[in-house]
Parts: sequence; structure tokens; C-alpha cells
Amino acid sequence: MGVQAAADLAVALERLSERLRALGLRLSVPDAERARHARGELVDQIDDYLLPRLRRMEAPLLMVVGGSTGAGKSTLVNSLVGGEVSPAGVLRPTTRAPVLACHPDDVPWFEDDRVLGGMPRTTGGPAGPGGLQLVPTPALPPGLALLDSPDIDSVVERNRALARQLLAAADAWLFITTAARYADAVPWELLHAARDRGTALSLVLDRVPPEGAGEVASHLREMMVEHGLDGAELLVVPETPLEEGFLPAAALAPVREWLDALAADAQARAGLVRRTLTGALDSLPARVGGVRDVVADQEAEAGRLRADVDGAYERGLEEIDEAVRSGALLRGEVLARWHDVVGTGDLMRALESRLGRLRDRVRVLVTGAPPADAELRAAVQSSVDAVVHAAADRAAERAAAAWRGTPAGRALLEDAARLDSASADLLERTRDQVRAWQGEVFDLVSREAAGKRTTARVASLGVNGAGLVVMLAVFAQTGGLTGAEVAVAGGTSAVGQRVLEALLGDQAVRTLADKARENLLTRSRKLLDTEAARFHDRLAGAAPGPEELRVLDDAVAALEGAR
Amino acid sequence: MSLAGGLDARLSALGEAARLADGRLDTALVDEAEGVVRRAGERLGHGLEATVVALAGPTGAGKSTLFNALAGRDLVAVGVRRPTTSATTAAVWGFAPELLDWLEIHGRHAVAGDPEGLVLLDLPDFDSVETSHRLEVERLVPLVDLLVWVVDPQKYADAALHERYLHPLRSHAGSMLVVLNQADRLGDGIGAAAGDLRSVLAADGLGEVPVLPLSARTGEGMPELRQAIEERVERREAAVARLAADVDDSATRLRAAAGDGHGGEVDRRQREQLAASLAEAAGVPAVVAAVGRAHRRRGALATGVPWVAWVRRLRPDPLRRLGLGDAPQEDVRTSLPRATPVQRAHVDSAVRRLAGEVASDLPAEWLGLARRAATAREEELADRLDRAIAGAELGLTRPRWWTAARWLQRLLAVVAAAGALWLLALAVLGFVQLGDVVPTPEYNGFPVPTLLLLVGLGGALLVAFVAGRLNGVGARRRARRAERALRERVGAVADELVIAPLTAELGARDELLNALDAAQPRERGGLTGRLRRSARPRERAVQAG
Repeated sequence: MGVQAAADLAVALERLSERLRALGLRLSVPDAERARHARGELVDQIDDYLLPRLRRMEAPLLMVVGGSTGAGKSTLVNSLVGGEVSPAGVLRPTTRAPVLACHPDDVPWFEDDRVLGGMPRTTGGPAGPGGLQLVPTPALPPGLALLDSPDIDSVVERNRALARQLLAAADAWLFITTAARYADAVPWELLHAARDRGTALSLVLDRVPPEGAGEVASHLREMMVEHGLDGAELLVVPETPLEEGFLPAAALAPVREWLDALAADAQARAGLVRRTLTGALDSLPARVGGVRDVVADQEAEAGRLRADVDGAYERGLEEIDEAVRSGALLRGEVLARWHDVVGTGDLMRALESRLGRLRDRVRVLVTGAPPADAELRAAVQSSVDAVVHAAADRAAERAAAAWRGTPAGRALLEDAARLDSASADLLERTRDQVRAWQGEVFDLVSREAAGKRTTARVASLGVNGAGLVVMLAVFAQTGGLTGAEVAVAGGTSAVGQRVLEALLGDQAVRTLADKARENLLTRSRKLLDTEAARFHDRLAGAAPGPEELRVLDDAVAALEGAR
Repeated sequence: MSLAGGLDARLSALGEAARLADGRLDTALVDEAEGVVRRAGERLGHGLEATVVALAGPTGAGKSTLFNALAGRDLVAVGVRRPTTSATTAAVWGFAPELLDWLEIHGRHAVAGDPEGLVLLDLPDFDSVETSHRLEVERLVPLVDLLVWVVDPQKYADAALHERYLHPLRSHAGSMLVVLNQADRLGDGIGAAAGDLRSVLAADGLGEVPVLPLSARTGEGMPELRQAIEERVERREAAVARLAADVDDSATRLRAAAGDGHGGEVDRRQREQLAASLAEAAGVPAVVAAVGRAHRRRGALATGVPWVAWVRRLRPDPLRRLGLGDAPQEDVRTSLPRATPVQRAHVDSAVRRLAGEVASDLPAEWLGLARRAATAREEELADRLDRAIAGAELGLTRPRWWTAARWLQRLLAVVAAAGALWLLALAVLGFVQLGDVVPTPEYNGFPVPTLLLLVGLGGALLVAFVAGRLNGVGARRRARRAERALRERVGAVADELVIAPLTAELGARDELLNALDAAQPRERGGLTGRLRRSARPRERAVQAG
């Protein structure tokens, strides 16, 4: 591989790592958890292994000793190094901080943050949490470093995660299992991953009881063939009493010989390095593809959730439209503005309220009943707000119900305080909008009535005057006890409408009503949009960005191009 | 069955809770509770004479060796090839074929002697590459009475054991033993390893589980295990204890899902507000007004001046116009104006607000359930309200004095007519110059015919006026009465279609909580039960050095 090619590849990898890191992967679709995990592994492998290795192909071979808890990793490393570099013992799990042993000449390669940049190095004592202990030892040949990793399967979750990260950073695995463990599911999962990524791999079958040595080894070899690992080396270490904590030389011989041969043969080492590197690069597109599929799923799910909300609020708007389309509401509104425009509104209002007060007083006098509930009266007045608010309320409930139907939506609603009803300040905002709308209807009517105002005022005063006379007559006769004068006032309104229609023309009134309706719907849509935004914001925080997929695809394509 | 007595009540409480939670809480939890009840019923049906003890553990821990050691002879094969055991084998001290049929175990061996009633199972492993083994273990773990977890020094801290089995079963400490096998491999280190295993178990929430270090190969520690098992078999309580823990577990999970807080009651003010919105939407004010007008109209017809009263007949009766009869007729649709969108919006808001207020203390899911219950029958509302109004007794009775007034009016009309005819006759006689033929009687110097006419007309007007006043009063009284009747009927509809479903939903919640409390052991209430099982500290502290 040329220097330029390697540099291009490194750039493409850096970009891919960056893109992967930028993925949100937050929406709860099936496999999201697995995708987050896979993303973490990919990023770790690129940063901890591929990039450092591509930059310095001549660096020493890093062999990671991995395996189950209690398999004897630390004992093996200690025995190979000839000193207690990693604590071994009967308590499970033992190794907590990883130890890297190498020839003193190789120490500079591992001192800086070229590999495993995130782990601070210590020498001369065990590393703290998240650290890496460096142990220079002449017992190891130059060009080969051993890294004793924590276990892959104990209850300590941090150990398991760290072991996987270290294994992903390895040029080769020395994977240790035992006669009791060799059929465990967890190690085989990792071995499958190594196989799929083309990692150079050797197995050590440790703690083999003398009576079953042949049977166990041959069974393990069968399993290796069955699982596609027939190319891997299998080294058998029998179960023997330890000599001062170390394996006796005879038991260790197969491993020692294999390591020495590897250390002596630079060609073979470079071959191993290249094999693992190529395998890892080959495995990238498919693994990124797996993550990409989940992002695509999330995008589709986000689209569905968005459509749920839009549908719910679209129906809310239709409900408002239906309510105002019937016309009574709008005609009343237009007429009220008409009264304002021709300047008779105040007169009528004043008259009505004065009459109303008088009537209430008489009624209290006669019957002792209190005047009608003030609250109720206010409720009737706020008719338009009521329609809009109820529609928003129902829409919120529909949207929340639709979201609750999917796991992703449920997760989004989880910490949301009461998304399934309209927001608390909506009524206030609706009132503002309705007031503004009434103002616009006023403008509309006055534009339409310009020039006809005087005629209109006379006619209107005539109508209202007549209405007033009738009302007073009725009031005088009944003492305000029947409410008939209200009916008269209603009749007057109806006549007022006729006058309005006669003056402006039936068509003009209809156009006015239509315009008022359009205007009201636009305002309602704005209100409902801010309501729907509560859902959309929540979704936007979790859904993949619009460009995420494309950018990821580009990064993978660039990587393939650079190879 | 005295031993299972307390358990029976708790089981039926859990069954009831599952029924109530169905459709309200997470389906998985409901299914789990139903599963517990069903399994418990089946297990209890097989009697408590036999105790099922299962040896479970990872591959290579020595389950089969231990099984053979306990049985006293080599019933199952042991070997170094992993995984060794693939099918469950049972050793039965005594006779329990039906129980084994229920457990679906086909490999059976009879063992003579004590402890009578022990059914020992050798399970396959759960951590090897053979997934069928894991499935078999997962099938049997919920069914057995006592679980003996067999681990070895290499594997006692495996995540596969602790995270998949021990931690989830942390409320079953009383139905478990943990055996640290292959003690002979560690020599003196066994004490430290057992202590470490205990601390891992404590982190699982299983600090109370006995840990027995032993060696099935050398026999060291075997008597202790044998004694522990024999004790439990003789007491015959293991099955009940295990099922009780199952019930407890399931009830605790359901209780956590149900959340805290109690639903409020629908108070008078809330009910009246709802009824007022419904009445408004149903057109009660229009009907009330029509009742008043109808009474006045009828009164005018009955008691008004007969000459002119007929004019009023030309105007339709206000109630007839609304399609309402005097008598209640529920199945006839009224012609009341449909509720306007504004009124419907008010009703809708009122219903939702009511549900929101009543369920304000409850978790969000229950708020949703309360709303769903309150609005479930919203579609029916319009029709039912209409029926309520059509079926209302409007109380448009005819006052008795109307008859008297009518006769009075008729009498006055006759008097006036008599006067008028007399005057007419006089006029005709005068015209033919016979005016003096018949003398005109006088009353106090006033001609009687004129007097008759004036009294008849004036009296009619006076009666009409007085009757009109009285009718006004009567109309208001009837309107009030009608309003009361209508509002009562509308209130009944509100009760039936909105408040009853809402209260039923909240009641179901209370019943569910009660059932869950009943499903949990007496000595601790629901709350302490929940506190007892706090979350497990996931990460073991890193031991220095």
C-alpha cells in the first residue's frame, strides 16, 4: 500500500468515524440499541486500530490476550513475561485495569496516544480506572506487544465493554478459553465477530484436565471448523499446579514456541498485520450498512410520527372549518362589525345592556332569583375561542394516542408533561387571535361599505330605531319578565342583516363571510401549527437529521473509492 | 389445603388484578400475571407431597456429577465434552408421574429411600452455544419449587448467570440455593471465592441466599447440601413459597406500572357545570322558553276575549313547533335546532375538563384512560339528550280556574251579545218608528241593554287582563318546573354517558390497587413492598489492588 493511498484511506476513515459519531440513533425503533452498540464498536475500531495502524504500518504487532473470566489470561501473560505484571487469583473477575507488556525498545510506540488514545498510561503500578499500565520487559521479543485485557463475560459491565474495545484495537487475538468454557455462547459470539472482520486469531485451550485432553481438544477443533475458524492456531495448555504463580515451562511450551516463531519472523508479523487490517477494512461497509439500515428505519418511523401529528391537527383544522362553514357564526360576526362600522353598534349595545340590567333588577325584585351566572355569559361570548380550543384539544389527544401506539412514540411521550391536551396558554393566544381577526373583519366591512356609510347609517338607525320602539313597548307591557324583547332584538338583528344585504348586495355579504372565514382559518392554522410544533420539536430532538443518511453513504463511498 | 390457604386468596386477587389491568396496563405485565395464576393453579393441583428441585447452572459446573452424587448412583452421563447434558432428567424419590407429565420431563429414574417426595431435576446448561438448552432451562425455571444453582470457581461471576437469571429472580431468595462446586480445585482459596460469590449475589439483591461450597467429586460439603434439600422437602413448603414469591413479584411490577395517586370524585359543582353545558347544547333554554310561551298562548285561548281569541289560533303552538307533545314521548324525534358547533365545542371541552380535573393526580396513562372513558359514549350524547328532552314531563297542566274563566267569558259574551242584540232590536224598532212600543227597562237610570253590552265587553277585557297576569305567573312557574325536569333528565344523561363511565374507570383503578395490595403479603403493605426491592447497584465496586 502506497503512502499516498494510506493517507487517502486515513482521511476517508476519519470522515467516516466523524459521521458515525454524529449519528443520533435516538428514536426507539427495533434494533436501535444494537445499532448504537455497533456504532460504538465501529468508531472505536477506526480510532483505536485502523487509523493508528494505517499511519504507522511498521509499528510493533499488538496482540491482545482476551477471553472469559477465570480462563487464566493473567496467569498466561505473567508466565510468558516471567513476572507478576497482571494480578491473577481465584476471585472473579480478576484483571480490572489492562496491562500492556512489550520489549523496552518498543515502549515509545505505546507511550503516546497513537493507539488507545483515550487511556492514560502509567508505568510501575496498576493503572487507575480507564487507564493502561505499560510494562517494559526483556522477556518479550521486540516487535511484539502483549495486552492483557479484562474478561469478556463477567458481571462487571465495564470490563466487558473495555475488553471488546481492546480486542477491536488488536492486530491479532490470542483468545483463551478453558476445558470448562470452550462451548460457552459468549466467547463464540466474539470469535464470530473476529472471523467476520478477518482478525488474525489464535486460540489457547487452557486448564485442560489430563484425562480429557484428547477429547476436548478434538471437539474444540471440530467446533472451530464448524464455525469457520479452521485457519486459526489452537494451542493446548494442560491443567497443572502453578509454580510460584506461574505455569511450568513444559505446559507453556506450545504458546512460547508459537510466539517466539512469530517474533523471529518479521514477514509473518507483517502478514498478520495486513490480514487483520484488510479484514477490518473489508468488514466496514457491511457493518456501517447495518447501522445505516437502522437510521433509515428511524427516518421512516419519524416520518410516520410526523404524519400522525400532521393528520391529527389537519383534522382539527377541518373541525374548525366545519364549525364556521355553517355560517351562523360568521354572519353574526360580520353583522356585529357592520354595526360597528355604521356606528350604531354602540347604541345598540348600550341599549341592550341597560335594558338587560333593568330586567335583571326587576326579576330579582319579583322572583328573588339571582341574575344569570356571569361565568356562563362569558362562556357564550367566547364562542370562536371555544371552537378553536376544543379542536386543538382533540387534535392533541389524537396525536398523543397515535404516538402511544408505537414504541418510538411512547418513548418520546415518556417525559412529556401532558402533551395530550392543548397547551395551557392556548386559550389566551386564541383570544388574541380572535380579537385580531375581529379587527380585520371590521376593516373588511368598512372597506366594503365605504361610500355607502351615510345611507347605511340612516337605514340602520331606522331599523334599530324601529327595533328599539318595539322593544320598549314589549318591555313596558311585560315588565321585562318574559324576555320577549330579546327576541325582538334578535329580529332586529335579522332585519339588520337584510339591510346589510340590501345595501351591499347579497353576493358582497357572502364574499365578506368567505374572506372572514379564510382569515379565521389562516389564524387557526397558525395556532394549531404552534400546537403541533410541541410534538414536532420533541420528534426533531430524536429523529435523524435530514442529511444523515446521504452523508453517511458518501463517507462509505469515499472509503471504497480510497481503497 | 391449609398451607396454600393464604396463597389461594392472593392468587385470586392477582387474577382479579390481571383482569382489571387488561387493556389498561402493559400487555406483557398482564400476560405475566395471568401466567403466574395459571401456573400456580396447575402446580397446586398436583399437590404439595412432592417437591421439585432443579439443578441449574452453566456448562461444566458439575450439575450432572452432583445429580449422580445426590441420587447415589450414576443415572446420567458425565463428561469433559461441553455441553454434556442436553435433555432434562428427573430422579424421583417416591412416585409423581403426573407432576413429571406436567413438567414435560421424559427421562425419569425412581430412587428408593429418603427424602420421600423429592423430585430432582438435572437441567441442561444455559450458557453454551446450544440455544435449545437455554430454552429448556427457561421453560423449567418458572415451574420448579426450589432452584439449586450450581456454579464453579471459573464461572461464578458470569454475566450470563447473574444478569439473565439471578438478578431477575431476586425476589425468590427463599426458593434458591447456590452451590459453589469443584471446591477441591481451589483448596484454601475456597473461602475467599465463596465470600466473593456472596458479594456478587448481594449485588444481585440475593444476599440472603445460602451459598454452599462443596465438591461433588470428593463429597466434601455434600452432607450440608443434602440436609438443606431434605429439610425443604420434608417441610413441603417450597412450592407454596415459590408461588408466593411469583405472585409478589408480578403484583409488585403491576403496582409500579399502575403508578401512584388516587382519582378524585366528581363533585356537585363539576356535575352541574357538565350538566349546564349539556343542557345548553341540547336546547333546554329554547324548550323552557317555549313552555312559557305555550302556557301563555293556551291561557289566552282559554281565558281571553272569545271574540278575538281565535286569531291566536292562527299562530302555531311553540311546543308543537319544537316537535314536543304535552305527554312525554321518548321515541319521537324532536324538531329542536341541532346543537351549534360552539355548543358542541363547549360540551366537548366540559367533558374533557371534567376528566382532566378528576384524574389530575394520576399518572399520564390513567389521565388518558379517564378521558377515553369519559368520551367513549360522546357519539350517543346528541341522540340521548334529544330523547331526554322528548321524554320529559313538561308539566303543562291546565289550571282549573281556566274553565271557570272560560264560562265567565262565555257568560260575559252572552251578556254582551244580549245587550248588543237588544240594542240592535231597539235600533230596528226605532227605524220602523216603533221605538216606544216596547219600553226600555232602566237600571238606576241607565238603559239595561247598553249596560249589558258595556258590562259584557268591559268584563271580558277585565277578565282577560287579570287572567293574562295570572297566566304570566303560571307560565313562569311552569317554565321553572319544566326547566327543573329537563335539567334533571339531562343530568341523568350526563351521569349515565359521561360520569358513570368515568367513575367506573377510576373505580377500576381503585379496585386494581386494592387487588394488588391483597395479592401482596399481609405483613407489608404495597408501599413497603415496593421500597424493599430498590434498584440493584449495577456496577460492582472496583476492589482496589
